[in-house]
Amino acid sequence: MAVQEVRVLLDNIDEPGLNHIDTYERLGGYQAMRKALTEMEPDEVLAALENSGLRGRGGAGFSMGKKASFLPKGSMDKYLCCNADESEPGTFKDRLLMQKNPHRLIEGIIIAAIAAGANKAFIYIRGEYVLQADVLDAAVREAYDKGYLGQNILGSRNDVDLVVHRGAGAYICGEETALLDSLEGKRGNPRLKPPFPANQGLYNGPTLINNVETLNNVPLVIAKGVDWFKQFGTEQSTGTKVVSVSGNVQRPGNYEIALGIPARDLVYGLAGGPPPGRKIKCWFPGGSSAPVLLEEDLDRPYSFEAMAEAGSMLGSGAIIVVDDSVPIVSVALRLAQFYRHESCGKCVPCREGTNWTVKMLERIDTGDATPMDLEIMAQVQTNIIGNCLCVLGDSMAMPIGSMIEKFRDEFVEHIERAREAKDRLSVELGTYAEPADAVA
Amino acid sequence: MPKPEPKLITFEIDGREVQAPEGQMLVDAAKMGDVEIPYFCYEAKLGQPVGACRMCLVEVEGIPKLQTSCSTPVKDGMVVNTKSDRVKQAQNAIVEFLLVNHPLDCPVCDKGGECPLQDISYGWGPGRSRFIEPKRHFEKPVALSPLVAIDRERCILCYRCVRFSQELSEDYQLVFLERADHTFVGTHDGHPYVAPFSGNIIELCPVGALTSQAYRFRARPWDIEDAGSICTLCPSQCNVKYTTRDDNKVVRVLARDNEDVDDGWLCDKGRFGYQAIHVPERVTRPMVRDGGELRPVSWERALSEAAGALARAGDRTAALVGGEATNEDGFLTQHLLRGVLDSPHVDSRTSGVLDPQQQAVLAQPDLTAKVSDIEWAGTVLVLDTELVDESPILDLRVRKGVRRNGLNVIVATSRPSTLDTNARALLRFAPGAGEALLAALAAAVSGQGDLEDLSGRAGTSAEILRGAAELLQEPGPVVVLWGERLSQGERGRQAVARLIDLARQLNLSGTEGAGLLEVPRGTNARGLREVGCVPALGPGLDTATRAGKSAGEIAASVPGEVSALLLVGADPLTTHPDRGMWERALDRATSVIAFADFVTEGLDEHADVVFPAESEAEKDGTMTHPDGRIQRVRQAIARPGEVRPQWSVLAELCERLGNPTGLLSGAMVSERVFESVPFYEGITLAEIGGKGVRWQERDGAARLPRVELPVGELEIPPRATAEGLRLGTGPSIWSNRVVEHSPLLRFLLPEQVVELSPEDGERLGLRTGDQVSVSVDGTSVSGRAFLRSDMPPGNVFLIEGTRTDNATALLNGKPRSIELLRAEETSPA
Repeated sequence: MAVQEVRVLLDNIDEPGLNHIDTYERLGGYQAMRKALTEMEPDEVLAALENSGLRGRGGAGFSMGKKASFLPKGSMDKYLCCNADESEPGTFKDRLLMQKNPHRLIEGIIIAAIAAGANKAFIYIRGEYVLQADVLDAAVREAYDKGYLGQNILGSRNDVDLVVHRGAGAYICGEETALLDSLEGKRGNPRLKPPFPANQGLYNGPTLINNVETLNNVPLVIAKGVDWFKQFGTEQSTGTKVVSVSGNVQRPGNYEIALGIPARDLVYGLAGGPPPGRKIKCWFPGGSSAPVLLEEDLDRPYSFEAMAEAGSMLGSGAIIVVDDSVPIVSVALRLAQFYRHESCGKCVPCREGTNWTVKMLERIDTGDATPMDLEIMAQVQTNIIGNCLCVLGDSMAMPIGSMIEKFRDEFVEHIERAREAKDRLSVELGTYAEPADAVA
Repeated sequence: MPKPEPKLITFEIDGREVQAPEGQMLVDAAKMGDVEIPYFCYEAKLGQPVGACRMCLVEVEGIPKLQTSCSTPVKDGMVVNTKSDRVKQAQNAIVEFLLVNHPLDCPVCDKGGECPLQDISYGWGPGRSRFIEPKRHFEKPVALSPLVAIDRERCILCYRCVRFSQELSEDYQLVFLERADHTFVGTHDGHPYVAPFSGNIIELCPVGALTSQAYRFRARPWDIEDAGSICTLCPSQCNVKYTTRDDNKVVRVLARDNEDVDDGWLCDKGRFGYQAIHVPERVTRPMVRDGGELRPVSWERALSEAAGALARAGDRTAALVGGEATNEDGFLTQHLLRGVLDSPHVDSRTSGVLDPQQQAVLAQPDLTAKVSDIEWAGTVLVLDTELVDESPILDLRVRKGVRRNGLNVIVATSRPSTLDTNARALLRFAPGAGEALLAALAAAVSGQGDLEDLSGRAGTSAEILRGAAELLQEPGPVVVLWGERLSQGERGRQAVARLIDLARQLNLSGTEGAGLLEVPRGTNARGLREVGCVPALGPGLDTATRAGKSAGEIAASVPGEVSALLLVGADPLTTHPDRGMWERALDRATSVIAFADFVTEGLDEHADVVFPAESEAEKDGTMTHPDGRIQRVRQAIARPGEVRPQWSVLAELCERLGNPTGLLSGAMVSERVFESVPFYEGITLAEIGGKGVRWQERDGAARLPRVELPVGELEIPPRATAEGLRLGTGPSIWSNRVVEHSPLLRFLLPEQVVELSPEDGERLGLRTGDQVSVSVDGTSVSGRAFLRSDMPPGNVFLIEGTRTDNATALLNGKPRSIELLRAEETSPA
């Protein structure tokens, strides 16, 4: 089973010195920007992006061209923010793209910003990506020195300024409106939508927010054309995707594939499948926020539409594989702890729901839970989903809900086993007490 | 931004067709159909919704997810369901989530019984709890400030207090710290939350997390009653509710939302100042000087002594009416003087002489802006007043206009203002040079006159004035908030002439929503002038038959001209300029008769008869807001001790002096006032009601003769002195007797601070905190130096009304140059 990667975004990824502008240009870099500035009108660029079918690679999968076209026309200050706050557990594709090939991101930003009429751009990069931020800073300086950033780029009378802003370590700042608040110097909490950032974003100006990988695709679409781009992928999921595969696989890492290949090819063919003798218990198809799928779902095509049909999502394109050595309760608890820690605390269902879920899950292992808690836990997840200000609450409730649904028997068994173990221990310690109802 | 015209649309809610203004948030629009949607974080007066509590989720047809009705503007044809199973499940879920960490200590919680969380849990909650884990814990209660206690366990993190601090009062002190379920409300550095409007967060809190240190554990909701009135502590005249217990004790003051006056906010002085009502040092019995000391006596003795003294003084009596007197008290005082004693000497202003013609112009209905015009104006000019100190609630109104409607603000003050950061233009002029500033501004607007010269005379630059003039000429009405200080100096008349001239050039009287709004010194300054408490004007701004002496002239009168002084809530040694002159005047008077709630230094030394004055919660009567709104002051509690209504004492004095008024009740006095002021014609207490009525908007306004704005040559203003240091003064919001006497507010009582620029500080070798002495012509006060980076060099500012080292000692109505010395140098000992 020889599955081949399709290296489009990762084409020269191992070229030494690719992070420097000379190497990048030698390999054809910044040609797309020249083309967009000299041969194309902004509307043509937007049309190309929309026709390419390029969908956002950050999680929501919304058409990038359409999103850019939502920005109102006019002479007000407009902004472009590149969301490089890659914090979704299991996702590490943007890190690679930024560290190895920063100029393609910068080129994508310049093209997208000019097309959308924005002249101020920001890269909001997660604080832990120190190396990547340093690489980007250096690359931005190179681009300024070459005149690709700043005033009157290539004599086109277009201005784009680009600032790399480092986050301070909050998952929520990857949520686009929290990112804006954080960038403005406020506490990074999600804003109420509407108004949407396209109308009122950064400093209340129209703002286009795109993921690193999405913007990496922009120079390719412009340089090589819509038809070339659409040869990859499916009708609704065009192009390639860098997929981060992690968890219980033998060869974890980033793999670029054409969207729509069977997920099994990715997990087994490229990532080598679980260690010998292990079976896949479940897998997250799109980062830790995606509802889990089972082994048999691996035969589905890895595309936005097929993952949605399976009741999950492609999300940021990060597969986490869980094999049968891992208790599902541990997976759920670790996940819930993460979301509880990262909840911003602004809205009630997320703040209290994540906290409550963690406390219930913790009780399972100590033998203090009953199967009734499982029902409450499932209902708490239902009560979170759809009722929150942003998607963080749902990001915990959906996978946990799916785990309870798909692994109910394992949960019940785990609860019972832990209770028995606790009873045994208390008998040994002499602290055992008959349950009150049993005495009566 | 012009005020939008509301357009009615029809939508359906729970099967009912309802009309509501387009764009109104669903949560409010639902009320039009008698549908109640529960919520915690939403509060219309806080502005933009945040959608944090998720309590108000409803189903809107055509939208798959439930929507927060606090942030969904209602549209024509919208179909809303608030009672479907989906909505009920969401409501149950949110209540259950909220109670996860909320301690159920309702029996010992101040909010218990008037708590939205209780009510909503009862009305929309599941009625049972499935949460058996330990709740989160915080140290509790802790003092957020000396005025506010915080119980972080009860907090449901609804954002209201934080939004108030960040977006309303813009003090930016309150923040959320930590995240997730560890989130808590606090300040950045753990410092106490002390700010002029901090108490509002208590009222905003939908649970018992923020409680008043003064009210905590004093009563349960079933022990108390609310009594509506207005706050009489400053000209904002905010509408309040006195929470009373046993009909004789005020235990709390709450806002009584009136969009036309206060927008539902109060300052901390108004909210906590009630404590001064119930302190032992308050005067509750009449007193007479006997053996050199004030001693409590019977009413009979006090009245007969006072009547005797007044009879002896006759037309050599003078009266000063304090700003907190009601229209009724003011009317009766001027009647006592003019009608009974035949003396014309009555004044309610602390200094300056009011010109009758100018007063007639300033009273013109179309020249007066109303409070709500501020937020919808195109440009507001804040002129020679510090709103946060002199009319705090207007400070919030200006901020609201800037934040929500893009209002342009020009701050034209000598002293750096708290509104500076919101201003599009800053005009820093020399203290006392308001006349020159206005002349220069008018020149910049009209393009006529020597702008360079005039701006030099004002001590400012032509460049900045041109910028301000452009803002004034932008589309949208202009509102000028001008401080009474402008009219009080030696050249007050000329300054007001300039103000009127600018108003004419900007066509304020011909523009809807534009006008002047005075920020006077006294609470009821406008009403007192309109009922005749100014030397040249009788009731209804009619020219008095005989012009009397102004306050300054009374103080400066030669022996024999004035022999008896009647002080109706006035304390000239604290509030009037030239303290030394007033000391001599009080010394010289053969008798001083005062209505007072506290024996001040001046009274202790000089008063011969002291009548106990009613506190703000014991009064009945009316006051007139600076924008002409007549409001009722209503008695909330029984008068303590032997306190009698002030009007009845004044009426009694009239009777004893052989001129019975025939007035038997407070209501009759009000009626007499409305009869005597022509443009108050036909007003009744019932019409005034709880929200007040602007006389300009009634037919009776036509009874005020129309006066055209004068046109003509104006005097060239004098040049602001460039030599030495110029003295500027102003009151602090906290320099007030209720602050002094309220146990909890006392920590805010200001000590004298000498504000100067860092340049002057360096030149004089002074640093912040140094004790310095400020002197003019041999009179000096001392205070601590404060080097302010935004203070223009050459200007020094002091606080008026401090208990000691009051800056009024240095004033005499003229621009003053001072000498500044480190205190050690003046007293080598």
